[in-house]
Amino acid sequence: MQAFLAILRYDLGLLTRSWITRIWLPLLIAPALFLVAVAANEDELASETLAAYLAAVMIPISGLAVAVLASSAVSGESGIIADGILSRSVTRSEYMAAKVISRLGFTAVIYMVIMIPFAYLIIRYAAPDTSIGGVAVGLLIVCLLLTFLGALGITFSTLFSNVLLDVLGLLLVVLLSGVVLQFLGLTWMSTTAVVTGLPDTFRGQTPVWDLVRIFLVFSSLTAAAIATSFWVFRERDL
Amino acid sequence: MTCADGGAPRGSSSLEPRVTSCGFLIWQGLGFAMHVVQTTDLTKIYNNRYIALNALDLRVEKGTVFGLVGPNGAGKSTTFRILLGLQKPTAGQVQVLGEPMTAERADIRRRIGYLPTNPSFPKYMTPIQFLEFVGSVIGLTQDRAKVQLARLLQAVDLTNAAAQKIEGFSTGMMTRLGIAAALMNDPELLILDEPTSGLDPAGRKQTIELIRELTGRDRTIIIATHILSDVERVCSDVGIISQGRMIYSGPMADMRRLARQGTISVEIEGNTTAFEQQIHTLDEIGSVRYERVGAEFRLTFLGTHALTEYLMRVLQLIDRTGVELLHINTGADEIEEAFLRRLEEDRTRGFLRAAAWAATQEVGGVKEEIDAGIPGHPSI
Repeated sequence: MQAFLAILRYDLGLLTRSWITRIWLPLLIAPALFLVAVAANEDELASETLAAYLAAVMIPISGLAVAVLASSAVSGESGIIADGILSRSVTRSEYMAAKVISRLGFTAVIYMVIMIPFAYLIIRYAAPDTSIGGVAVGLLIVCLLLTFLGALGITFSTLFSNVLLDVLGLLLVVLLSGVVLQFLGLTWMSTTAVVTGLPDTFRGQTPVWDLVRIFLVFSSLTAAAIATSFWVFRERDL
Repeated sequence: MTCADGGAPRGSSSLEPRVTSCGFLIWQGLGFAMHVVQTTDLTKIYNNRYIALNALDLRVEKGTVFGLVGPNGAGKSTTFRILLGLQKPTAGQVQVLGEPMTAERADIRRRIGYLPTNPSFPKYMTPIQFLEFVGSVIGLTQDRAKVQLARLLQAVDLTNAAAQKIEGFSTGMMTRLGIAAALMNDPELLILDEPTSGLDPAGRKQTIELIRELTGRDRTIIIATHILSDVERVCSDVGIISQGRMIYSGPMADMRRLARQGTISVEIEGNTTAFEQQIHTLDEIGSVRYERVGAEFRLTFLGTHALTEYLMRVLQLIDRTGVELLHINTGADEIEEAFLRRLEEDRTRGFLRAAAWAATQEVGGVKEEIDAGIPGHPSI
C-alpha cells in the first residue's frame, strides 16, 4: 500500500508539472468564458451551448491531451521503470493500479473542475431549457468517454514502449472505430452519436434505456481496457 | 530477522547437519545449505530467437562477494533481471533469499539492493527527492528516510550535489546515486551490475573502495563486470558466464591457482629461434601452447603436473638452447589468464559440453557435478 501511494504521489506530481497540463487548462478555460459571455448576451439555449462546448472544445482538446497523457503512462518512463521503480519493493499490480488511478483520476478531476463551474454559469445566464438530472447525466457520459479513451491509452502504453507510436495507434483506433461501428450497424455506440444526442440528454429527453446502455457499454469497455493493461504489464519482461 | 547459517566451512562436501542461528536444522551437502541465490537450469529465450541464458546454475552463499564475470552479451544483466523478478525465465528455477522469485514478490525485493548498468532515474528530481521517493516505496518513515539519505549521500560523496537536478549528472554521479538508492533499505543482498562501467580511473577506485566498505555484516554482494581487476580486488568468489552458461564457479583463490597451474612467461635473448624450435619437446610432460611477443614467450601447459615440474623443464630448455634468461614469471595477469582459458575451453569443448549437461539430467533428479574440463575444476 505504501508503494502504491508513493507511486501515486509521484505520478500526480509528474502530471501537474507536465507541459500538456499547462497548455490543456487555458485552452479549455478561455473558450468557456467566451461562451458564457456570448450565451448571456445572445440568449442562447443552455443545452445547445453546453453541447457545442463539449463537442467543439472539450472533447477534441481533452481527447488529445488524455491520449498523450495516458499513452505515456508506462511507455513514457520505460527508461526508469525497471531501474528506478520496479527493482524496488513494488509489485506490478501496485504500479499499474497507481498509474491507472492517477491518469484516469487526473482526467476526471480536470474535466469536472472545468465543467461544473461552466455548466453552472451557462444554466444561470443562458436561456434555461435543461434539467439538473439531464445535465449531470450528460456530463457523466462525456467523462466516461474520456475515461475510456484514457484506459485505452494506458493499454497501448503497456503494449509498446514508444510514446509516439502509442498515441498514433490510439488515435487511429478511435478514428477507425467509427467506421467499424457503422459497418456493424452499431452507430449508437460511436462517440459522434453520443455527442449528437447530448442536447436532448441535457434537456432530460433521452430515454433512460439509451442512457443505461451507453453507461454499461463504455463502463465495460473501460474495465476491459484496464484489465488488459494489468494483464499485459504483468506478463511483460522489463 | 535474518539467520546466520552456522558458519560451516565453505566447500565442505560431506553430509552433515548444522543448526542455524534461528534453530533450523539444515543438511550441508544435500544442497539445502543457505544459498542467498540459487538458480537451476535457468533458461531465457527471447522471442524464440535469442538464447540469453542456457541452463544456468548459479549458487551464491551468504556473506560472500561474488563476481559474475563474462564478456558483453554473456547474460549477466539478464540473470540479474530474472533474480529481481523483472523478467520471467523461459525455464528453470530461481530462488532468492530462500524463496522463489516472481514479479509480484515485492517482499523479497525489499531485502535486495540493485544497481543497474548505467542507471537511469527521474531526471527532474534531485538526489534528495529521488532517495525520498525510494524510501517511501520501500516503506521507510519520512524521518527514517531523511536520516538514511543524508548518511548515504555523504557516503557516496554527493552531498554537494544534493540539490542539483539528476538531469545534469555525470555517469559517475549517476552510479553513486544508484549505489545510494540500492542501500536505502540496508539490503541483505546487493546486486551491482557493472558498477564501474563508464567511470574514469578515480571514479572506479572510489566505487571499488565503496564496495569494499559494504562487505561483511552478513551482506551478500553480487557484482557483474567484465573488468577482471575489479573482481580480483573485491570478490571472494567468482563465476564465469559465457553464452548464457556458467562455465566456472568457485572461490577466487582456486581461480588464481588455476591460472598459476600452467602458465610461465619467459623473456630471453640470444638464439631465440632455437628456443622456439625446441618448445615442442616440452610436449612430453603435457600439451603445451605458446605465444611469442618479441623476446617474450608465454608458455601454457594443459596437463595436470605441478607448476614446479613445468618450471624445471622450461629452465632445462633454456639451458639446453643456450639463450640468456632475462625475466621469468608464473603469475602475471593470472585472473585474466584463467578467465580467458576458461572461455577458450568452453568454446572448444562443443558437444562435450552438451553431453555433460545431458548427463546431469539423467541422474534421477539429483544434480551431480560433472567434470568436463580441467581436473579438479568441475565446470557445471
